[in-house]
Amino acid sequence: MTEISYQKLPWEVRDDITAAHRRAWQRLGQAGIWLTGAQRIAVAGETRTALDCQLCRDRKDALSPNAVQGSHDHTGQLSDLEVEQIHRIATDPGRLGRDWYEGLLASGMVEERYVETLGVIANIVAIDTFTHGLGLDPWPLPEARPGEPTRKRPAARRQLAWVPTLAPEDAIGTDDQDLYAGRPTAANIYQAMSLVPAAVKGFFDLVVNQYLPPQAMRDFDNEYRAINHAQIELVAGRVSALNQCVY
Amino acid sequence: MVGNGDPRDGGIENGARLIRFATAVLGDDAGELKAAREDIAAVMGGAALTDTAAVAALFNAIDRVADATGIPLEDVKAEATADFRADIGIDAFAAADEKGHAA
Repeated sequence: MTEISYQKLPWEVRDDITAAHRRAWQRLGQAGIWLTGAQRIAVAGETRTALDCQLCRDRKDALSPNAVQGSHDHTGQLSDLEVEQIHRIATDPGRLGRDWYEGLLASGMVEERYVETLGVIANIVAIDTFTHGLGLDPWPLPEARPGEPTRKRPAARRQLAWVPTLAPEDAIGTDDQDLYAGRPTAANIYQAMSLVPAAVKGFFDLVVNQYLPPQAMRDFDNEYRAINHAQIELVAGRVSALNQCVY
Repeated sequence: MVGNGDPRDGGIENGARLIRFATAVLGDDAGELKAAREDIAAVMGGAALTDTAAVAALFNAIDRVADATGIPLEDVKAEATADFRADIGIDAFAAADEKGHAA
């Protein structure tokens, strides 16, 4: 069992970051809503493998990713469709488009699995980029635990994004109304993965600890981190620009 | 080493250092990342370094959530940032037409 710890680093890592990373690692190996624990671990491993994929490198260098055909270098644990999803999101997110997403659906991708897979990718990227930035090797993936996905779908509709989302008003009176507790004006990015509410809760456990809690984001009278609001947004903006992220 | 008050800071204290790290952490140059890391630790302190790494890493992930779901920027944010988004080239990004703002 991997025990995430940053105590050997020469620099202080906040305890809340360490705790959030440990929780993420615990969730990673557990059965999710649409994926088993083993499938979630396979997605995590594939996310890492994508970084060494020659096809992804060639596509990244091409004027259009569609101009380069071939096969991904992959772990062999997931379907070609899942591998395509994971590799493209991991290596070239700025050029994803609705046509690409709808092509996956036409080929048989299940939207709920797509979103849960995205949630796993996001957790791995957030933690692996952190360790990489501090000169550490990525943490060994946790062991998969037994259990079956619950396959419980919220009252999500296609309304805001390519993927169906659960609007705050549609969550009221349902089992998922706690998703928006304390977030009466949930930002679009918070709603993005709401087709799988557990994916939102898991990823935003990292958001509030690695970035800022919602009440702190616009509290410019106080500082909550060792870098101030302006410095935080500068770093965030630079990363997003390099990723060609419009949001 | 980049000094405080450097015009490259863009008016934000240690801005050039932070941009250097954010660029390096997404790049392939291990030596540059190590140098950027050590520069922040030496000048701003270890806690500033780890918080910077945390933010950079989080946004490397959140960008993927946005881009893979096609979630649009809220209209109010798009309107508030319209002038400088064009000026600094964001509107020229490949996905800008599809995800620039809510339909």
